[in-house]
Amino acid sequence: MTSVSGDAPMEGAANAVALTDVALSYSGRSPVLDGVDFELPPGSSLCVLGPNGGGKTTLFRALTGELTPLRGRVRVDGRPAYLAQTERTRLDFPVSALDVALMGSLAHGRWWLPARRSDRVAAHGALERVGLENRSGDRFGELSGGQRQRVLLARALVQDARVLLLDEPLAGVDPASGERIEALFRELRDEGRTLLVSTHDVDSARAFDRVLCLNQRQIAFGNPSTVLTRAVLEQTYGDEIVVLDDDGSGGPVRAVTVQHHHH
Amino acid sequence: MDLLEPLQSGIERRALLEVALLGGFCGALGYWITTFRLSYPAESLAHGLLPGLVLAALAGVPLLLGGVVGVAAAALVIALAGRDPRVGSDTATAVAVTGLLGLGGMLALSPDAPTRLEELLFGNPLGVSDGDLIAAAVLALLGCAALVGLHRAFGAVALDAAGARALGLRPTAVRIALLGLLAAALAIAVQGLGSLLVLAVLVAPAVAVRGHFDSPGRAMVAAGATAVVAGVAGIYASHLLGTAAGASVALTLCLAAAIGAALPPRPGGRPAKDATPAPHVPATGPNA
Amino acid sequence: MILDYIYPVSLLASLPSPGDLVELPFMRTALIELTLLGVAGGLLGAWIVLRRLAFFAHAVGTATFPGLVVADATGFSATLAGLAVALGYAGGVERAGRAGRDPGDVATALALVVALALGVVLASDVFESGAAVDRLLFGTALGLDAADLWVAAGAAALALAATLLLGRAWTAAGFDAQGASAVGLPLRAADLLLLGLIATAAVAALPAVGALLVASLFVVPAATARQISRGIPALLAISVAIAVAQSALGLYVSLWLDVPPGPAVAVVGSMLYAVVALTRAALASVSDPVPVAETT
Repeated sequence: MTSVSGDAPMEGAANAVALTDVALSYSGRSPVLDGVDFELPPGSSLCVLGPNGGGKTTLFRALTGELTPLRGRVRVDGRPAYLAQTERTRLDFPVSALDVALMGSLAHGRWWLPARRSDRVAAHGALERVGLENRSGDRFGELSGGQRQRVLLARALVQDARVLLLDEPLAGVDPASGERIEALFRELRDEGRTLLVSTHDVDSARAFDRVLCLNQRQIAFGNPSTVLTRAVLEQTYGDEIVVLDDDGSGGPVRAVTVQHHHH
Repeated sequence: MDLLEPLQSGIERRALLEVALLGGFCGALGYWITTFRLSYPAESLAHGLLPGLVLAALAGVPLLLGGVVGVAAAALVIALAGRDPRVGSDTATAVAVTGLLGLGGMLALSPDAPTRLEELLFGNPLGVSDGDLIAAAVLALLGCAALVGLHRAFGAVALDAAGARALGLRPTAVRIALLGLLAAALAIAVQGLGSLLVLAVLVAPAVAVRGHFDSPGRAMVAAGATAVVAGVAGIYASHLLGTAAGASVALTLCLAAAIGAALPPRPGGRPAKDATPAPHVPATGPNA
Repeated sequence: MILDYIYPVSLLASLPSPGDLVELPFMRTALIELTLLGVAGGLLGAWIVLRRLAFFAHAVGTATFPGLVVADATGFSATLAGLAVALGYAGGVERAGRAGRDPGDVATALALVVALALGVVLASDVFESGAAVDRLLFGTALGLDAADLWVAAGAAALALAATLLLGRAWTAAGFDAQGASAVGLPLRAADLLLLGLIATAAVAALPAVGALLVASLFVVPAATARQISRGIPALLAISVAIAVAQSALGLYVSLWLDVPPGPAVAVVGSMLYAVVALTRAALASVSDPVPVAETT
């Protein structure tokens, strides 16, 4: 089956993201993620929950087109922006915040040509929007975790992506930067962009339009109030979840995850 | 071919003994070198000790001495080079090794130098003297004794360094011991195999036995035995075919590795878990 | 004894005039060759250092050794033989997805040992050309001809063109492969091109610096430059400058001491790296009493 994720808007663009009965695997082996089926209207936000190895990153890779589905159809409006977790190696790279923001312009085609003036203007504008215009010349690796996420968001803005995939964007970010970033998320959604955010912070899922639970297969998709129930969370996280309060009604509960993850 | 023919000549007798000694020790040690993922540092040290060998050859002192000094100098240079965080330790090691190889080449290829560089690069088992043999025998036996004493500590640290610490072992000290043995092994083995080929006797036997033995102790002994057999076969092959002795031994060792890797692992042949690499920045290629 | 071989006075007395590099015809050719290789090595070296391909650069050169022996003995073109092996190695590495140095990758290390041992056996026992081994491993300043110059010029031109066209893509891919893939860059093709270019340029360098010392031009100058540059355009420029200077100086040393150019260029380059590193360390300890860990 083919994945259709190109620059043109989707036909009948009611949805920004649509997956129909998708199974994903690496190099044709048995699926590492199966039964994925959901749709997202433009301007909505999705929280993706699940344990490490459960398929969150695999899903994102399918959405960028890096992974072709074993079965089913993946449709995304335009080319999504992908904000991976900041890893150590990237901090060594001699690029400035402006250089990183400018990378977003590679999406506009003709990447073999140098960046145009309009791209540079867009990059400065994007940095200004995330509040880092005065640090545009600083090395990316010298910035704090929160600042790095904001620079990557600036890159997504320059890319002008209609769909943004964010892999644990608030991990290791101080609360002040975190609030700033969340404010930016709201702005982006108001502009009609669609955000997919994976996180280990189960509690934060309550603020999203939709929640998706993955553990090698799609366990649940829907409103937070219907998805964040004890049954679903235990199915998703197994014994890595601690439920904080449960009135026994089968409704949504509060919980925290208890695994280790490395940055 | 008469099996005893090579044994008639003193030169080849010594070559066979040399190869057997260094094979036994280096092959067994190599099991731990690969388990601890030290094959790249081993290769770097092997290449980097070349200037030491050349100086020893120029000065007329035993190559074993040149090997020891060469390894020490190489280790120092590589360690110093690796301190810049921008460049990364793999790249810095490449800079150090390239410089040392170049230095060795310069010393050996200057017009008045009588050294036969090829023997230092590719080994010369047929050039072993009785003195060299005795020195190699002593070091190899000491090394094997050390392996016998240390192998359980190696196994514990390789499996789980944190757990080993809890058992009272000191992983850092264990690693240092391993590196010390590596230095000794390189110094002994370069006479037979040369700076460029010595890695074969450390790594190939371990590859040959991996997955075929259910305990690290047995695997280590098997690696040593494989190295001895392959080494002797190499000398015989070189005698029979008239090919360079060091290179022939290296090729038979690699052949053993290929055969061992191609054979299906024995059921219960649980390979020892690879230890996490300690000092290296994990390399990320273009496709990482 | 060793004192017989360290005669500094007579060495200094035999210092050649730098003009010899230009006046002696074979030296002129060697100088042009090494300058062109310096350009290629400086440009590609920047990417090699950024993408952690130092081992690959060294390995691809070493792997060609048996091919060179066969070519040398049979009269077949060494360049073509080298290209066949080098590109084959690059393709295999890309497919295995491990162009970076995988600390556990014993297979590559053993493959290189096999290549070297095979080359030795072929050289000494099949073809009986013992003297050639030194030349093939360490290079030569003599015997470089117009064909070698053309190949080196081609490598330099390719390196320049590729840097201009693919530089943005290579930077994005090295910085964040997933983000670059999301943005629509053809990562696989770009990386394959990078490996292929390194392999090709390494083959161009083989006659002058030898199969063992490709890294002297393709890793060392860029590593030195990396220590003192800020940003990638600066890295590229400084890397080329250092590489060209290093190869000229190395050639001079090779003429002076009558050794092959490969070792001389390697030693000069690594010493330059050391000087820069020590200077930086000294400056840092002077300006910062408390050592600060660098991040970039």
